[in-house]
Amino acid sequence: MASTAPRRRRRRRVPIGRILVIGLFLAFVLAPLYWVFITSIKPSDDYLAVPPIWFPGQPTLVHYTAALFAYRGLQGLVNSLIISVSATVLSCLVGSLMAYSLARFNTGGQHLSFWVLSQRFLPPIAIILPLFLNYRLVGLQDTHIGMILAYTVFTLPVSVWMMFAYFRQMPRSLEEAALVDGCTRWTSFWRVAVPLAAPGVVAAAVFTFIACWTEFFFALILTSRNAFTLPTVFRAFLSFQGAQYGEASALAIVSLVPSIALGVLVQKHLVRGLTLGAIRG
Amino acid sequence: MADGVAIGSESASVPGRRLPSARRSDRRFKWLLVTPAVLLILAISIYPLLFSIWVAFVNFDFQIPGHAFIGLKNFDQVIVDPVARYSLLVTVGLTLSDVAVEFLLGLAVAMTLANTFRGRGILISIIIVPLFISPVVVGQAWALLLQRPFGPTNYLLGLLLGHDVTIGWLTQWPWNFLALILADVWQWTPFMFVILLAGLTAIPPHVFEAAELDGVGRWQVFWHITVPYLAPMMLLAVTFRLLDAIRLFDTIFIMTGGGPGTQTYSTSFYLYTIGFAQFHLSRATAGAWIFLVLTLIVIVFLVRRLLKPEAK
Repeated sequence: MASTAPRRRRRRRVPIGRILVIGLFLAFVLAPLYWVFITSIKPSDDYLAVPPIWFPGQPTLVHYTAALFAYRGLQGLVNSLIISVSATVLSCLVGSLMAYSLARFNTGGQHLSFWVLSQRFLPPIAIILPLFLNYRLVGLQDTHIGMILAYTVFTLPVSVWMMFAYFRQMPRSLEEAALVDGCTRWTSFWRVAVPLAAPGVVAAAVFTFIACWTEFFFALILTSRNAFTLPTVFRAFLSFQGAQYGEASALAIVSLVPSIALGVLVQKHLVRGLTLGAIRG
Repeated sequence: MADGVAIGSESASVPGRRLPSARRSDRRFKWLLVTPAVLLILAISIYPLLFSIWVAFVNFDFQIPGHAFIGLKNFDQVIVDPVARYSLLVTVGLTLSDVAVEFLLGLAVAMTLANTFRGRGILISIIIVPLFISPVVVGQAWALLLQRPFGPTNYLLGLLLGHDVTIGWLTQWPWNFLALILADVWQWTPFMFVILLAGLTAIPPHVFEAAELDGVGRWQVFWHITVPYLAPMMLLAVTFRLLDAIRLFDTIFIMTGGGPGTQTYSTSFYLYTIGFAQFHLSRATAGAWIFLVLTLIVIVFLVRRLLKPEAK
Protein backbone atom coordinates (compact mmCIF):
# COMPACT_ATOMS: atom_id res chain seq x y z
CA MET A 1 0.00 0.00 0.00
CA ALA A 2 2.70 2.42 0.97
CA SER A 3 4.39 2.13 -2.38
CA THR A 4 1.28 2.67 -4.46
CA ALA A 5 0.12 5.78 -2.63
CA PRO A 6 2.42 8.35 -4.24
CA ARG A 7 1.95 6.84 -7.68
CA ARG A 8 -1.76 7.06 -7.33
CA ARG A 9 -1.52 10.71 -6.30
CA ARG A 10 0.58 11.50 -9.35
CA ARG A 11 -1.84 9.70 -11.58
CA ARG A 12 -4.76 11.63 -10.22
CA ARG A 13 -3.10 14.95 -11.00
CA VAL A 14 -2.63 14.29 -14.71
CA PRO A 15 -5.93 12.97 -16.09
CA ILE A 16 -8.41 15.84 -16.77
CA GLY A 17 -6.55 16.99 -19.91
CA ARG A 18 -5.90 13.45 -21.01
CA ILE A 19 -9.43 12.26 -20.45
CA LEU A 20 -10.62 15.23 -22.47
CA VAL A 21 -8.32 14.43 -25.40
CA ILE A 22 -9.22 10.74 -25.37
CA GLY A 23 -12.91 11.38 -24.83
CA LEU A 24 -13.19 13.87 -27.67
CA PHE A 25 -11.19 11.68 -30.00
CA LEU A 26 -13.26 8.64 -29.12
CA ALA A 27 -16.44 10.60 -29.84
CA PHE A 28 -14.94 11.68 -33.16
CA VAL A 29 -14.16 8.07 -34.07
CA LEU A 30 -17.51 6.68 -32.99
CA ALA A 31 -19.87 9.40 -34.23
CA PRO A 32 -19.90 8.45 -37.95
CA LEU A 33 -20.10 4.74 -37.11
CA TYR A 34 -23.01 5.31 -34.76
CA TRP A 35 -24.87 7.51 -37.22
CA VAL A 36 -24.40 5.04 -40.07
CA PHE A 37 -25.62 2.18 -37.91
CA ILE A 38 -28.63 4.10 -36.67
CA THR A 39 -29.50 5.23 -40.18
CA SER A 40 -29.34 1.68 -41.42
CA ILE A 41 -32.09 0.56 -39.03
CA LYS A 42 -34.16 3.74 -39.06
CA PRO A 43 -37.56 3.78 -40.83
CA SER A 44 -37.45 6.08 -43.86
CA ASP A 45 -40.06 8.37 -42.33
CA ASP A 46 -37.62 9.32 -39.58
CA TYR A 47 -34.87 10.54 -41.93
CA LEU A 48 -35.65 14.22 -41.99
CA ALA A 49 -37.09 14.64 -38.50
CA VAL A 50 -36.00 17.76 -36.62
CA PRO A 51 -34.50 17.32 -34.11
CA PRO A 52 -32.78 14.22 -35.56
CA ILE A 53 -33.89 10.90 -34.14
CA TRP A 54 -30.91 9.50 -32.27
CA PHE A 55 -32.42 6.11 -31.71
CA PRO A 56 -35.35 4.83 -33.78
CA GLY A 57 -38.39 3.67 -31.81
CA GLN A 58 -39.10 0.95 -34.34
CA PRO A 59 -35.88 -0.35 -35.85
CA THR A 60 -36.23 -2.07 -39.21
CA LEU A 61 -34.17 -4.26 -41.48
CA VAL A 62 -35.86 -3.24 -44.73
CA HIS A 63 -32.83 -1.20 -45.83
CA TYR A 64 -30.61 -4.25 -45.56
CA THR A 65 -32.82 -6.36 -47.82
CA ALA A 66 -33.15 -3.45 -50.25
CA ALA A 67 -29.39 -2.83 -50.32
CA LEU A 68 -28.59 -6.49 -50.81
CA PHE A 69 -31.24 -7.35 -53.37
CA ALA A 70 -32.62 -4.24 -55.07
CA TYR A 71 -29.18 -2.62 -55.33
CA ARG A 72 -27.31 -5.85 -56.05
CA GLY A 73 -25.31 -5.55 -52.85
CA LEU A 74 -25.42 -9.30 -52.45
CA GLN A 75 -23.73 -9.90 -55.78
CA GLY A 76 -21.14 -7.29 -54.89
CA LEU A 77 -20.61 -9.04 -51.58
CA VAL A 78 -20.16 -12.44 -53.23
CA ASN A 79 -17.83 -10.98 -55.88
CA SER A 80 -15.82 -9.21 -53.20
CA LEU A 81 -15.50 -12.45 -51.25
CA ILE A 82 -14.42 -14.49 -54.27
CA ILE A 83 -11.95 -11.89 -55.48
CA SER A 84 -10.51 -10.96 -52.09
CA VAL A 85 -10.08 -14.55 -50.90
CA SER A 86 -8.51 -15.72 -54.17
CA ALA A 87 -6.20 -12.73 -54.40
CA THR A 88 -5.19 -13.20 -50.76
CA VAL A 89 -4.35 -16.86 -51.26
CA LEU A 90 -2.44 -16.16 -54.44
CA SER A 91 -0.64 -13.13 -53.05
CA CYS A 92 0.44 -14.96 -49.89
CA LEU A 93 1.47 -18.10 -51.75
CA VAL A 94 3.57 -16.30 -54.33
CA GLY A 95 4.61 -13.70 -51.77
CA SER A 96 5.83 -16.21 -49.21
CA LEU A 97 8.07 -17.88 -51.80
CA MET A 98 9.62 -14.56 -52.68
CA ALA A 99 9.85 -13.37 -49.08
CA TYR A 100 11.61 -16.56 -48.08
CA SER A 101 14.05 -16.29 -50.94
CA LEU A 102 14.80 -12.66 -50.09
CA ALA A 103 15.20 -13.39 -46.39
CA ARG A 104 17.28 -16.54 -46.64
CA PHE A 105 19.38 -16.04 -49.76
CA ASN A 106 19.31 -12.27 -50.09
CA THR A 107 18.22 -12.91 -53.66
CA GLY A 108 18.95 -10.01 -55.98
CA GLY A 109 20.41 -8.00 -53.14
CA GLN A 110 18.62 -4.83 -52.09
CA HIS A 111 17.58 -4.09 -55.66
CA LEU A 112 14.97 -6.80 -55.92
CA SER A 113 13.39 -6.15 -52.53
CA PHE A 114 13.25 -2.41 -53.15
CA TRP A 115 11.86 -2.99 -56.60
CA VAL A 116 8.96 -4.87 -55.01
CA LEU A 117 8.54 -2.17 -52.38
CA SER A 118 8.50 0.56 -54.99
CA GLN A 119 5.34 -0.99 -56.45
CA ARG A 120 3.57 0.01 -53.28
CA PHE A 121 4.16 3.69 -53.95
CA LEU A 122 3.28 3.91 -57.62
CA PRO A 123 0.21 6.11 -58.09
CA PRO A 124 -2.56 3.70 -59.16
CA ILE A 125 -3.75 6.14 -61.81
CA ALA A 126 -0.49 5.55 -63.71
CA ILE A 127 -1.05 1.79 -63.84
CA ILE A 128 -4.78 1.68 -64.27
CA LEU A 129 -5.12 3.40 -67.65
CA PRO A 130 -2.85 1.04 -69.59
CA LEU A 131 -4.05 -1.94 -67.53
CA PHE A 132 -7.60 -1.12 -68.51
CA LEU A 133 -6.63 -0.94 -72.20
CA ASN A 134 -4.80 -4.26 -72.03
CA TYR A 135 -7.56 -5.96 -70.08
CA ARG A 136 -10.01 -4.93 -72.78
CA LEU A 137 -7.67 -6.30 -75.39
CA VAL A 138 -7.21 -9.74 -73.83
CA GLY A 139 -10.73 -10.08 -72.45
CA LEU A 140 -9.92 -9.70 -68.76
CA GLN A 141 -11.96 -6.53 -68.37
CA ASP A 142 -14.84 -7.05 -65.91
CA THR A 143 -13.82 -10.61 -65.04
CA HIS A 144 -13.07 -12.18 -61.68
CA ILE A 145 -9.72 -13.46 -62.94
CA GLY A 146 -8.70 -10.00 -64.05
CA MET A 147 -9.54 -8.54 -60.66
CA ILE A 148 -7.81 -11.36 -58.81
CA LEU A 149 -4.62 -10.83 -60.81
CA ALA A 150 -4.71 -7.07 -60.33
CA TYR A 151 -5.29 -7.40 -56.58
CA THR A 152 -2.62 -10.05 -56.23
CA VAL A 153 -0.03 -7.78 -57.74
CA PHE A 154 -1.20 -4.71 -55.93
CA THR A 155 -0.96 -6.50 -52.55
CA LEU A 156 2.37 -8.25 -53.25
CA PRO A 157 4.52 -5.49 -51.73
CA VAL A 158 2.58 -5.77 -48.46
CA SER A 159 2.57 -9.57 -48.29
CA VAL A 160 6.20 -9.94 -49.41
CA TRP A 161 7.58 -7.32 -47.06
CA MET A 162 5.55 -8.45 -44.07
CA MET A 163 6.56 -12.10 -44.44
CA PHE A 164 10.12 -11.06 -45.29
CA ALA A 165 10.30 -9.43 -41.86
CA TYR A 166 9.10 -12.65 -40.19
CA PHE A 167 11.33 -15.04 -42.13
CA ARG A 168 14.34 -12.84 -41.50
CA GLN A 169 14.03 -12.98 -37.74
CA MET A 170 13.60 -16.76 -37.67
CA PRO A 171 16.65 -18.74 -36.63
CA ARG A 172 17.98 -20.66 -39.59
CA SER A 173 19.35 -23.48 -37.42
CA LEU A 174 16.11 -25.47 -37.62
CA GLU A 175 16.05 -25.43 -41.40
CA GLU A 176 19.69 -26.37 -41.46
CA ALA A 177 18.97 -29.28 -39.16
CA ALA A 178 16.25 -30.35 -41.58
CA LEU A 179 18.71 -30.12 -44.47
CA VAL A 180 21.23 -32.22 -42.61
CA ASP A 181 18.49 -34.77 -41.97
CA GLY A 182 18.07 -35.13 -45.71
CA CYS A 183 15.24 -32.72 -46.45
CA THR A 184 15.41 -30.87 -49.72
CA ARG A 185 15.43 -27.08 -49.72
CA TRP A 186 11.82 -27.21 -50.79
CA THR A 187 10.60 -29.46 -47.97
CA SER A 188 12.58 -27.52 -45.41
CA PHE A 189 10.84 -24.38 -46.63
CA TRP A 190 7.40 -25.91 -46.74
CA ARG A 191 7.62 -28.15 -43.65
CA VAL A 192 9.83 -26.09 -41.36
CA ALA A 193 10.00 -22.41 -42.31
CA VAL A 194 6.36 -21.80 -43.23
CA PRO A 195 4.88 -23.45 -40.10
CA LEU A 196 7.35 -21.52 -37.94
CA ALA A 197 6.38 -18.26 -39.60
CA ALA A 198 2.68 -19.14 -39.48
CA PRO A 199 1.62 -16.18 -37.31
CA GLY A 200 3.34 -13.83 -39.71
CA VAL A 201 1.80 -15.52 -42.73
CA VAL A 202 -1.67 -15.32 -41.19
CA ALA A 203 -1.19 -11.64 -40.33
CA ALA A 204 0.01 -10.92 -43.86
CA ALA A 205 -3.00 -12.77 -45.24
CA VAL A 206 -5.42 -10.75 -43.13
CA PHE A 207 -3.88 -7.44 -44.18
CA THR A 208 -3.94 -8.55 -47.80
CA PHE A 209 -7.58 -9.51 -47.49
CA ILE A 210 -8.52 -6.18 -45.92
CA ALA A 211 -6.65 -4.30 -48.63
CA CYS A 212 -8.61 -6.16 -51.33
CA TRP A 213 -11.91 -5.92 -49.49
CA THR A 214 -11.70 -2.15 -49.11
CA GLU A 215 -10.16 -1.29 -52.49
CA PHE A 216 -12.21 0.96 -54.74
CA PHE A 217 -10.20 2.59 -57.51
CA PHE A 218 -9.14 -0.53 -59.45
CA ALA A 219 -12.59 -2.05 -59.08
CA LEU A 220 -14.24 1.12 -60.31
CA ILE A 221 -12.30 0.98 -63.57
CA LEU A 222 -11.72 -2.73 -64.16
CA THR A 223 -15.26 -3.92 -63.47
CA SER A 224 -18.76 -3.02 -64.54
CA ARG A 225 -21.74 -5.39 -64.60
CA ASN A 226 -20.17 -8.73 -63.93
CA ALA A 227 -17.26 -8.69 -61.47
CA PHE A 228 -18.14 -5.51 -59.56
CA THR A 229 -17.08 -5.55 -55.91
CA LEU A 230 -18.91 -4.32 -52.83
CA PRO A 231 -17.31 -0.85 -52.63
CA THR A 232 -18.34 -0.06 -56.20
CA VAL A 233 -22.01 -0.66 -55.34
CA PHE A 234 -21.91 2.67 -53.49
CA ARG A 235 -21.97 4.43 -56.85
CA ALA A 236 -25.71 3.79 -56.83
CA PHE A 237 -26.11 6.21 -53.94
CA LEU A 238 -24.07 9.09 -55.32
CA SER A 239 -25.64 12.42 -54.36
CA PHE A 240 -28.63 10.54 -52.89
CA GLN A 241 -30.98 11.48 -55.69
CA GLY A 242 -33.54 9.06 -54.35
CA ALA A 243 -32.66 9.70 -50.71
CA GLN A 244 -31.50 6.10 -50.16
CA TYR A 245 -29.80 6.99 -46.88
CA GLY A 246 -30.88 3.74 -45.26
CA GLU A 247 -29.70 1.54 -48.12
CA ALA A 248 -26.33 3.29 -48.27
CA SER A 249 -25.90 2.90 -44.52
CA ALA A 250 -26.95 -0.74 -44.52
CA LEU A 251 -24.44 -1.49 -47.26
CA ALA A 252 -21.76 0.42 -45.34
CA ILE A 253 -22.39 -1.76 -42.28
CA VAL A 254 -22.27 -4.93 -44.39
CA SER A 255 -18.95 -3.80 -45.82
CA LEU A 256 -17.23 -2.67 -42.65
CA VAL A 257 -18.15 -5.39 -40.19
CA PRO A 258 -16.03 -8.22 -41.68
CA SER A 259 -12.90 -6.16 -42.20
CA ILE A 260 -13.07 -4.56 -38.77
CA ALA A 261 -13.55 -7.96 -37.13
CA LEU A 262 -10.53 -9.35 -38.96
CA GLY A 263 -8.46 -6.25 -38.37
CA VAL A 264 -8.98 -6.22 -34.64
CA LEU A 265 -8.01 -9.91 -34.55
CA VAL A 266 -4.53 -9.17 -35.91
CA GLN A 267 -4.18 -5.89 -34.04
CA LYS A 268 -0.89 -7.13 -32.57
CA HIS A 269 0.70 -7.12 -36.02
CA LEU A 270 -0.78 -3.79 -37.04
CA VAL A 271 2.37 -1.68 -36.85
CA ARG A 272 4.17 -4.17 -39.01
CA GLY A 273 1.35 -4.36 -41.49
CA LEU A 274 1.11 -0.61 -41.85
CA THR A 275 4.82 -0.07 -42.28
CA LEU A 276 5.39 -3.17 -44.43
CA GLY A 277 7.47 -4.76 -41.73
CA ALA A 278 9.74 -1.74 -41.31
CA ILE A 279 8.91 -1.49 -37.63
CA ARG A 280 8.43 -4.27 -35.13
CA GLY A 281 5.17 -3.74 -33.29
CA MET B 1 13.34 -0.20 -32.50
CA ALA B 2 15.00 1.21 -35.59
CA ASP B 3 15.39 -2.34 -36.75
CA GLY B 4 13.65 -1.97 -40.06
CA VAL B 5 13.71 0.82 -42.63
CA ALA B 6 16.97 -0.38 -44.08
CA ILE B 7 16.97 -3.97 -45.15
CA GLY B 8 19.36 -6.36 -43.54
CA SER B 9 22.48 -6.41 -45.64
CA GLU B 10 23.72 -9.57 -43.99
CA SER B 11 24.45 -12.00 -46.75
CA ALA B 12 22.83 -15.39 -46.42
CA SER B 13 26.00 -17.38 -46.69
CA VAL B 14 25.66 -21.09 -47.02
CA PRO B 15 27.40 -22.99 -44.24
CA GLY B 16 30.86 -24.11 -45.30
CA ARG B 17 30.33 -27.81 -44.71
CA ARG B 18 27.86 -28.14 -47.56
CA LEU B 19 28.82 -29.35 -50.96
CA PRO B 20 29.34 -27.13 -54.04
CA SER B 21 26.61 -29.00 -55.91
CA ALA B 22 24.17 -28.13 -53.14
CA ARG B 23 25.16 -24.51 -53.56
CA ARG B 24 24.43 -24.55 -57.23
CA SER B 25 20.99 -26.03 -56.62
CA ASP B 26 20.48 -23.40 -53.92
CA ARG B 27 21.15 -20.72 -56.46
CA ARG B 28 18.59 -22.19 -58.81
CA PHE B 29 16.16 -22.67 -55.93
CA LYS B 30 16.33 -19.09 -54.73
CA TRP B 31 15.64 -17.66 -58.17
CA LEU B 32 12.88 -20.17 -58.74
CA LEU B 33 11.17 -18.93 -55.60
CA VAL B 34 11.04 -15.30 -56.71
CA THR B 35 10.02 -16.10 -60.29
CA PRO B 36 6.21 -16.23 -59.91
CA ALA B 37 6.04 -12.94 -58.03
CA VAL B 38 8.40 -11.21 -60.42
CA LEU B 39 6.48 -12.47 -63.45
CA LEU B 40 3.19 -11.27 -62.00
CA ILE B 41 4.56 -7.82 -61.28
CA LEU B 42 6.10 -7.63 -64.74
CA ALA B 43 2.82 -8.62 -66.39
CA ILE B 44 0.35 -6.55 -64.37
CA SER B 45 2.42 -3.53 -63.42
CA ILE B 46 5.62 -3.05 -65.42
CA TYR B 47 4.33 -4.05 -68.83
CA PRO B 48 1.31 -1.71 -68.63
CA LEU B 49 3.63 1.09 -67.53
CA LEU B 50 5.88 0.56 -70.54
CA PHE B 51 2.87 0.16 -72.80
CA SER B 52 1.55 3.47 -71.53
CA ILE B 53 4.65 5.31 -72.76
CA TRP B 54 3.50 4.42 -76.26
CA VAL B 55 -0.10 5.38 -75.45
CA ALA B 56 1.04 8.80 -74.28
CA PHE B 57 2.61 9.59 -77.64
CA VAL B 58 -0.23 8.47 -79.91
CA ASN B 59 -3.87 9.38 -80.27
CA PHE B 60 -5.42 6.30 -78.70
CA ASP B 61 -9.06 6.00 -79.56
CA PHE B 62 -11.30 2.93 -79.56
CA GLN B 63 -13.24 4.30 -82.53
CA ILE B 64 -10.30 5.24 -84.71
CA PRO B 65 -7.95 2.38 -85.65
CA GLY B 66 -4.26 3.01 -86.26
CA HIS B 67 -3.47 5.20 -83.26
CA ALA B 68 -1.58 7.96 -85.05
CA PHE B 69 1.67 9.18 -83.53
CA ILE B 70 1.23 12.75 -82.35
CA GLY B 71 4.42 13.35 -80.38
CA LEU B 72 4.21 15.58 -77.33
CA LYS B 73 0.77 16.94 -78.09
CA ASN B 74 -0.88 14.95 -75.28
CA PHE B 75 1.58 16.27 -72.73
CA ASP B 76 1.13 19.75 -74.09
CA GLN B 77 -2.64 19.57 -73.74
CA VAL B 78 -2.38 18.55 -70.09
CA ILE B 79 0.19 21.18 -69.25
CA VAL B 80 -1.82 24.05 -70.72
CA ASP B 81 -5.06 22.86 -69.10
CA PRO B 82 -5.73 25.20 -66.15
CA VAL B 83 -7.82 22.51 -64.46
CA ALA B 84 -4.79 20.19 -64.46
CA ARG B 85 -2.62 22.75 -62.74
CA TYR B 86 -5.42 23.65 -60.35
CA SER B 87 -5.93 19.96 -59.49
CA LEU B 88 -2.25 19.68 -58.63
CA LEU B 89 -2.67 22.63 -56.28
CA VAL B 90 -5.70 20.96 -54.68
CA THR B 91 -3.75 17.72 -54.28
CA VAL B 92 -0.79 19.44 -52.63
CA GLY B 93 -3.02 21.57 -50.42
CA LEU B 94 -5.24 18.71 -49.28
CA THR B 95 -2.30 16.32 -48.84
CA LEU B 96 -0.37 18.75 -46.66
CA SER B 97 -3.41 19.69 -44.55
CA ASP B 98 -4.45 16.06 -44.13
CA VAL B 99 -1.02 14.86 -43.11
CA ALA B 100 -0.33 17.82 -40.82
CA VAL B 101 -3.60 17.44 -38.91
CA GLU B 102 -3.27 13.65 -38.76
CA PHE B 103 0.27 13.92 -37.47
CA LEU B 104 -0.50 16.41 -34.70
CA LEU B 105 -3.70 14.67 -33.64
CA GLY B 106 -2.12 11.24 -33.82
CA LEU B 107 0.82 12.41 -31.73
CA ALA B 108 -1.46 13.98 -29.12
CA VAL B 109 -3.57 10.84 -28.77
CA ALA B 110 -0.52 8.57 -28.76
CA MET B 111 1.07 10.60 -25.96
CA THR B 112 -2.04 10.39 -23.81
CA LEU B 113 -2.09 6.62 -24.27
CA ALA B 114 1.64 5.98 -23.92
CA ASN B 115 1.40 4.79 -20.30
CA THR B 116 -0.41 1.62 -19.44
CA PHE B 117 -3.66 1.82 -17.52
CA ARG B 118 -6.76 -0.26 -17.24
CA GLY B 119 -8.91 -0.17 -20.37
CA ARG B 120 -6.09 1.06 -22.59
CA GLY B 121 -6.23 -2.03 -24.81
CA ILE B 122 -9.91 -1.55 -25.56
CA LEU B 123 -9.40 2.14 -26.26
CA ILE B 124 -6.67 1.33 -28.77
CA SER B 125 -8.86 -1.31 -30.42
CA ILE B 126 -11.60 1.27 -30.93
CA ILE B 127 -9.27 3.99 -32.16
CA ILE B 128 -7.77 1.82 -34.91
CA VAL B 129 -11.13 0.76 -36.36
CA PRO B 130 -11.16 3.37 -39.18
CA LEU B 131 -8.04 1.78 -40.67
CA PHE B 132 -10.01 -1.30 -41.64
CA ILE B 133 -12.84 0.48 -43.44
CA SER B 134 -13.06 1.11 -47.16
CA PRO B 135 -12.41 4.79 -47.99
CA VAL B 136 -15.62 4.67 -49.96
CA VAL B 137 -17.54 3.71 -46.84
CA VAL B 138 -15.73 6.43 -44.89
CA GLY B 139 -16.72 8.99 -47.50
CA GLN B 140 -20.27 7.68 -47.42
CA ALA B 141 -20.43 7.85 -43.63
CA TRP B 142 -19.21 11.44 -43.54
CA ALA B 143 -21.53 12.41 -46.35
CA LEU B 144 -24.41 11.02 -44.29
CA LEU B 145 -23.23 12.87 -41.20
CA LEU B 146 -22.76 16.21 -42.95
CA GLN B 147 -25.33 16.16 -45.74
CA ARG B 148 -27.99 18.82 -45.75
CA PRO B 149 -30.80 18.46 -44.77
CA PHE B 150 -30.38 14.89 -43.61
CA GLY B 151 -27.24 14.91 -41.47
CA PRO B 152 -27.30 15.95 -37.82
CA THR B 153 -24.18 18.15 -38.07
CA ASN B 154 -25.90 21.42 -38.89
CA TYR B 155 -28.51 20.76 -36.22
CA LEU B 156 -25.87 20.17 -33.56
CA LEU B 157 -23.90 23.22 -34.65
CA GLY B 158 -27.14 25.20 -34.44
CA LEU B 159 -27.64 24.09 -30.83
CA LEU B 160 -24.05 25.02 -30.04
CA LEU B 161 -24.15 28.46 -31.68
CA GLY B 162 -27.74 29.33 -30.77
CA HIS B 163 -28.87 30.11 -34.33
CA ASP B 164 -29.79 28.18 -37.46
CA VAL B 165 -26.87 26.73 -39.39
CA THR B 166 -27.37 25.88 -43.06
CA ILE B 167 -23.92 24.95 -44.28
CA GLY B 168 -23.78 22.96 -47.49
CA TRP B 169 -20.91 20.77 -46.36
CA LEU B 170 -20.45 18.96 -49.62
CA THR B 171 -21.21 21.77 -52.04
CA GLN B 172 -20.01 25.03 -50.55
CA TRP B 173 -16.51 26.47 -50.39
CA PRO B 174 -14.60 26.17 -48.04
CA TRP B 175 -16.77 23.64 -46.22
CA ASN B 176 -16.43 21.01 -48.95
CA PHE B 177 -12.67 21.00 -48.44
CA LEU B 178 -13.14 20.85 -44.71
CA ALA B 179 -15.45 17.84 -45.18
CA LEU B 180 -12.84 16.06 -47.32
CA ILE B 181 -10.16 16.77 -44.72
CA LEU B 182 -12.44 15.55 -41.92
CA ALA B 183 -13.03 12.23 -43.66
CA ASP B 184 -9.33 11.73 -44.37
CA VAL B 185 -8.32 12.73 -40.86
CA TRP B 186 -10.90 10.37 -39.44
CA GLN B 187 -9.58 7.47 -41.43
CA TRP B 188 -5.84 8.04 -41.18
CA THR B 189 -5.14 9.65 -37.81
CA PRO B 190 -5.10 6.11 -36.35
CA PHE B 191 -2.26 5.32 -38.74
CA MET B 192 -0.08 8.05 -37.24
CA PHE B 193 -1.30 7.10 -33.79
CA VAL B 194 -0.33 3.45 -34.09
CA ILE B 195 3.16 4.11 -35.41
CA LEU B 196 3.92 6.95 -33.01
CA LEU B 197 2.58 4.91 -30.10
CA ALA B 198 4.94 2.08 -31.02
CA GLY B 199 7.76 4.62 -31.06
CA LEU B 200 6.76 6.13 -27.72
CA THR B 201 6.53 2.82 -25.90
CA ALA B 202 9.98 1.91 -27.23
CA ILE B 203 11.64 4.85 -25.47
CA PRO B 204 13.43 3.39 -22.44
CA PRO B 205 11.58 4.59 -19.30
CA HIS B 206 14.78 5.33 -17.41
CA VAL B 207 15.39 8.30 -19.70
CA PHE B 208 12.21 9.93 -18.44
CA GLU B 209 12.98 8.95 -14.86
CA ALA B 210 16.39 10.56 -15.05
CA ALA B 211 14.86 13.73 -16.46
CA GLU B 212 12.29 13.77 -13.69
CA LEU B 213 14.99 13.39 -11.04
CA ASP B 214 16.83 16.35 -12.55
CA GLY B 215 13.64 18.40 -12.36
CA VAL B 216 13.40 18.97 -16.12
CA GLY B 217 10.14 20.63 -17.20
CA ARG B 218 7.55 18.81 -19.29
CA TRP B 219 8.08 20.84 -22.45
CA GLN B 220 11.80 20.36 -22.21
CA VAL B 221 11.32 16.63 -21.79
CA PHE B 222 9.11 16.67 -24.87
CA TRP B 223 11.53 18.64 -27.03
CA HIS B 224 14.79 17.15 -25.82
CA ILE B 225 13.83 13.53 -25.17
CA THR B 226 10.55 12.54 -26.81
CA VAL B 227 11.05 14.29 -30.15
CA PRO B 228 14.63 13.10 -30.81
CA TYR B 229 13.79 9.53 -29.81
CA LEU B 230 10.64 9.57 -31.89
CA ALA B 231 12.13 11.32 -34.94
CA PRO B 232 12.73 8.21 -37.09
CA MET B 233 9.18 6.99 -36.45
CA MET B 234 7.78 10.43 -37.20
CA LEU B 235 9.65 10.55 -40.48
CA LEU B 236 8.49 7.08 -41.42
CA ALA B 237 4.85 7.72 -40.54
CA VAL B 238 4.78 11.05 -42.36
CA THR B 239 6.51 9.62 -45.43
CA PHE B 240 4.09 6.72 -45.74
CA ARG B 241 1.10 8.97 -45.25
CA LEU B 242 2.30 11.58 -47.73
CA LEU B 243 2.82 8.99 -50.43
CA ASP B 244 -0.67 7.61 -49.88
CA ALA B 245 -2.40 10.95 -49.46
CA ILE B 246 -1.13 12.13 -52.85
CA ARG B 247 -3.40 9.54 -54.49
CA LEU B 248 -6.53 11.10 -53.01
CA PHE B 249 -9.50 9.88 -55.00
CA ASP B 250 -12.11 7.76 -53.24
CA THR B 251 -13.53 10.27 -50.77
CA ILE B 252 -13.71 12.95 -53.47
CA PHE B 253 -15.52 10.56 -55.79
CA ILE B 254 -18.11 9.75 -53.13
CA MET B 255 -18.46 13.03 -51.24
CA THR B 256 -18.15 15.90 -53.69
CA GLY B 257 -17.80 14.25 -57.08
CA GLY B 258 -15.10 16.84 -57.75
CA GLY B 259 -17.67 19.60 -57.47
CA PRO B 260 -19.00 22.12 -57.43
CA GLY B 261 -17.74 22.32 -60.99
CA THR B 262 -14.12 21.31 -60.84
CA GLN B 263 -13.47 22.88 -57.45
CA THR B 264 -12.47 19.73 -55.56
CA TYR B 265 -10.61 17.97 -58.39
CA SER B 266 -7.53 16.21 -57.12
CA THR B 267 -4.98 15.15 -59.72
CA SER B 268 -6.12 11.53 -59.60
CA PHE B 269 -9.72 12.63 -59.95
CA TYR B 270 -8.85 14.96 -62.82
CA LEU B 271 -6.99 12.23 -64.70
CA TYR B 272 -9.81 9.78 -64.05
CA THR B 273 -12.32 12.23 -65.49
CA ILE B 274 -10.18 12.94 -68.55
CA GLY B 275 -9.57 9.26 -69.17
CA PHE B 276 -12.79 7.53 -68.22
CA ALA B 277 -15.53 10.14 -68.45
CA GLN B 278 -14.27 11.99 -71.53
CA PHE B 279 -12.29 9.05 -72.94
CA HIS B 280 -9.21 11.11 -73.81
CA LEU B 281 -7.18 8.05 -72.94
CA SER B 282 -3.90 9.26 -74.39
CA ARG B 283 -4.12 12.65 -72.76
CA ALA B 284 -4.90 11.08 -69.39
CA THR B 285 -1.95 8.71 -69.81
CA ALA B 286 0.38 11.60 -70.61
CA GLY B 287 -0.95 13.39 -67.53
CA ALA B 288 -0.45 10.25 -65.44
CA TRP B 289 3.19 10.16 -66.53
CA ILE B 290 3.72 13.76 -65.53
CA PHE B 291 2.10 12.96 -62.19
CA LEU B 292 4.22 9.82 -61.82
CA VAL B 293 7.43 11.75 -62.41
CA LEU B 294 6.40 14.42 -59.90
CA THR B 295 5.59 11.67 -57.40
CA LEU B 296 8.93 10.01 -58.02
CA ILE B 297 10.73 13.24 -57.22
CA VAL B 298 8.89 13.40 -53.90
CA ILE B 299 9.61 9.71 -53.24
CA VAL B 300 13.32 10.02 -53.93
CA PHE B 301 13.54 13.08 -51.74
CA LEU B 302 11.59 11.53 -48.85
CA VAL B 303 13.00 8.03 -49.01
CA ARG B 304 16.55 9.35 -49.08
CA ARG B 305 15.83 11.28 -45.89
CA LEU B 306 14.20 8.20 -44.44
CA LEU B 307 17.25 6.06 -45.05
CA LYS B 308 19.81 8.60 -43.92
CA PRO B 309 19.60 7.98 -40.15
CA GLU B 310 20.21 4.30 -40.81
CA ALA B 311 23.43 4.98 -42.67
CA LYS B 312 25.12 6.40 -39.60
